[in-house]
Amino acid sequence: MPSDTCVLGFDTSAAHCAAALLCGEQIIASRAAEMGRGQAEHLFPMLEAVLADGGKSWSDLHAIGVGIGPGNFTGIRISVAAARGLALALGIPARGINSFDATQIDYDDPIVAIVPAPRDQFYARLAGKPGQLVGKAELAEYAQPVLPPPAPGLLARNIARLASQGHGIIPPAPLYIRPADAAPSREAPPVILANDT
Amino acid sequence: MGQLTILGLESSCDDTAAAVVRGVPGDARVLSSVVQGQADLHAAFGGVVPEIAARAHAERLDECVKQALTQANTALSDVDAIAVTAGPGLIGGVLSGVMCAKGLSAGSGKPLIGVNHLAGHALTPRLTDGIAFPYLMLLVSGGHCQFLLVRGHDDFSRLGGTIDDAPGEAFDKTARLLGLPQPGGPSVQAEATRGDPKRFRFPRPLLDRPGCDLSFSGLKTALLRARDELITDKGGLTEQDRADLCASFQAAVVDVLAEKTARALAIYLAESPAQPVLAVAGGVAANTAIRARLETVSAGNGTRFLAPPLALCTDNAAMIAYAGLERFAAGETDDMTLVARPRWPLDNSRPALLGSGKKGAKA
Repeated sequence: MPSDTCVLGFDTSAAHCAAALLCGEQIIASRAAEMGRGQAEHLFPMLEAVLADGGKSWSDLHAIGVGIGPGNFTGIRISVAAARGLALALGIPARGINSFDATQIDYDDPIVAIVPAPRDQFYARLAGKPGQLVGKAELAEYAQPVLPPPAPGLLARNIARLASQGHGIIPPAPLYIRPADAAPSREAPPVILANDT
Repeated sequence: MGQLTILGLESSCDDTAAAVVRGVPGDARVLSSVVQGQADLHAAFGGVVPEIAARAHAERLDECVKQALTQANTALSDVDAIAVTAGPGLIGGVLSGVMCAKGLSAGSGKPLIGVNHLAGHALTPRLTDGIAFPYLMLLVSGGHCQFLLVRGHDDFSRLGGTIDDAPGEAFDKTARLLGLPQPGGPSVQAEATRGDPKRFRFPRPLLDRPGCDLSFSGLKTALLRARDELITDKGGLTEQDRADLCASFQAAVVDVLAEKTARALAIYLAESPAQPVLAVAGGVAANTAIRARLETVSAGNGTRFLAPPLALCTDNAAMIAYAGLERFAAGETDDMTLVARPRWPLDNSRPALLGSGKKGAKA
């Protein structure tokens, strides 16, 4: 990519809102805030603030980098839906960067990237395998050290960096790992008899 | 005022939709309307699963928007504003729609307009037939049932509504209890044509009380009891039993809706509208027996009966684009802090019918 390429990265995969603007090789602006709720209302004002901090506008962007999780289902949908809308309107690619890649970016040694999941579980990615849901006990059994995601601000900066290097899936899609919680209908239909004669 | 071109997005239940509408308030046309249903995704679960719906919306909405723009032969740069359902509905889907619309708005510089899904339904007669305010609207669907006196694009008086289930839910439940396919509306209606509507005397809830409120959950229970009695008796249902249950169930729904509609009409007609109109919207309005009785009730009261084409009665984005057009023409827009709301009653002056807990009224 040319050296003046600008990529906006953002993430709402956990209890935070984070964004970073990368132009060329430099992160020129970034913001992050912890928040348990209200990401949908705060994300765009934060993105606009980051652009303003960097002296850029939407039309200066060459790509979007968006965190696709794993993480909070609603949170990753908020960012993915926003990124898809932006990509369509701006005519630029949105690249979906998973949290494992964004966690591992600066580690050359073999590690297991992990993301906290509900009920004392973790999403874990072992080398060469897709992410999976594991219990706390299993983490202790890994030969390699485990590594949780960095603070939200750094996570967003890493997402922007990976996207600028051409990583990520297009179009972005949430990385849920866990299937939707839904049980098939338990009601058995009644036996249908021939009509009385 | 010049012609306005509005892009609309809808994702509040199990239809992902985008549409382009062009015109002015009271005189607009649908340039495109794309609706992607999710019936196949939810079929195994006997009802809409919110998380499954939300997942589908998040990955389909932008594709629907592309299709809608292409079919309308319009570019995003040609639209005047972007309207999106901001509630009420399943929050995961509403959020996906609102965030996609914010992205479209930020990236294109076009204004953002949050639309109440119920207002979308309620204003549809102005899109399809250009009718004037005030008119009476019966919104009757899988998720909603209410009478609205529509006096302006943001002026709705709720005359009454269901205090528990919506009729569409009752049709779906009936189909499940009787082993008929989903959605229940068409399959129960088809069975009912072969059945005896008088064999089972199901309750007509709330007819003995004044007002326009309705209730359908007791009817469901009565149907379940009648079914179970037959099954206990002979080990199953005959095809005739099933048809009779459907016909008797449908007759009860028709009677209740007809009587409550007559009461709502009386309130509406007391305002002496110049050209009185009763309009219906929602998927249940497709039921021919219900439609026929409502036509009779309207005719008996000197009121025009209006049922928009089915594609604009059920969930769609053209109605959202049109409701957005009315808001935009009135100078109303939203900013990037637009909130997605699971609950959002149209008429805040009336006490809540449903969900009066700490989360507030649902509808």
